[in-house]
Amino acid sequence: MNEELHVRAEESIARQRVEGISDAERVWLEEHLRDCARCAEVARATEQAIHSLRGLSVPMPRALASRTQFRVRLRAREMQARGPRWQWLWAACGVSWAFGAATAPYVWRGLEWLGHRAGLPDVVWKMGFGVWWALPAIMVVVVLLFEKTGATDGMAFREEL
Amino acid sequence: MSATLAYANTNRAIATAGPMYLFSTHMADENKALAQGLRRRDPELLDRLIEEYQYRLFRYLAYITGNHERAEDFFQETWIRVLERGHQYDGKYKFESWLFTIARNLVIDWQRHKKPQSLDALIDPDEGAPMEFAAEDDASPLDLVLLGERGARVQASLGQLPAVYREVLLLRFQEDMQLEDISRVLAIPLSSVKSRLYRGLDALKKVLAGGAE
Repeated sequence: MNEELHVRAEESIARQRVEGISDAERVWLEEHLRDCARCAEVARATEQAIHSLRGLSVPMPRALASRTQFRVRLRAREMQARGPRWQWLWAACGVSWAFGAATAPYVWRGLEWLGHRAGLPDVVWKMGFGVWWALPAIMVVVVLLFEKTGATDGMAFREEL
Repeated sequence: MSATLAYANTNRAIATAGPMYLFSTHMADENKALAQGLRRRDPELLDRLIEEYQYRLFRYLAYITGNHERAEDFFQETWIRVLERGHQYDGKYKFESWLFTIARNLVIDWQRHKKPQSLDALIDPDEGAPMEFAAEDDASPLDLVLLGERGARVQASLGQLPAVYREVLLLRFQEDMQLEDISRVLAIPLSSVKSRLYRGLDALKKVLAGGAE
């Protein structure tokens, strides 16, 4: 038999299992396998390899699902408890920024007046204005840092467990 | 009025496209409902998902970590991630692809932290993706996982395969995943999934034949 036919058959055998083949190709392959012992052996070996993979089993650890469900519920409760705090934080930041934007011209004039009265260089009271504006952002960063430290501690605790 | 029109259009589409349309629409609806439940962090839904996917996820983790206890840890951590990042699942693709991707990424992250000095060794020669499973020459952890003499022989054969082939074979023939889903889980092109499958299957046949001799 032509060697090219064997190559084609072997490719079709693999393709049939991996991505599927057309009906025409399947019919041709079946006919070829009926007449060719060599390719039929390849088909058998392929089928056996796949069958072996499918037959592998893993013993499930005792109560793994229920232990996981318990842990997930615990974590969900933690997250739920943390949720409202974050909402308050974002609300406070929003109000603070809105208030800051609305009062910026007055604060600018107020700081300017104070700076001149105290005889400070312009750069000093202008920097003060910058700090006043950045205050809510700084507060958020501080809170986030605290949160992150807390979360890391929690993870370390879980790992110890 | 518009709902009636939509219903009529759906019926027309079903009539023309047949049962496949019904099936895919049902799948899409199910995935969307899942995505909404995950966004709400619905505890009942999570319980159900853990029950449903427990065996498949644990089996996958057991094979890719090669260690029973570690697989348990990753199993729990995967579900915690599902809870925390549930809002990231949009329901466009199958939930199982997303789940296995999370599990796989956790294992890869752990390996990176564990062996930062040997990252070069984890590079897949084909794709450049970092990947490592249980040591190729260390079959004992997998022995713990697998049952039966025949299973042990197949496991030993699997252990001889390069890790990248082993994983793709397990996803395709054990998990019965579609090629597109495997491509998503492994974050590699479809063509690479296919080529790995062909090479892996070929290699597995050879090692199985060698073991039988």
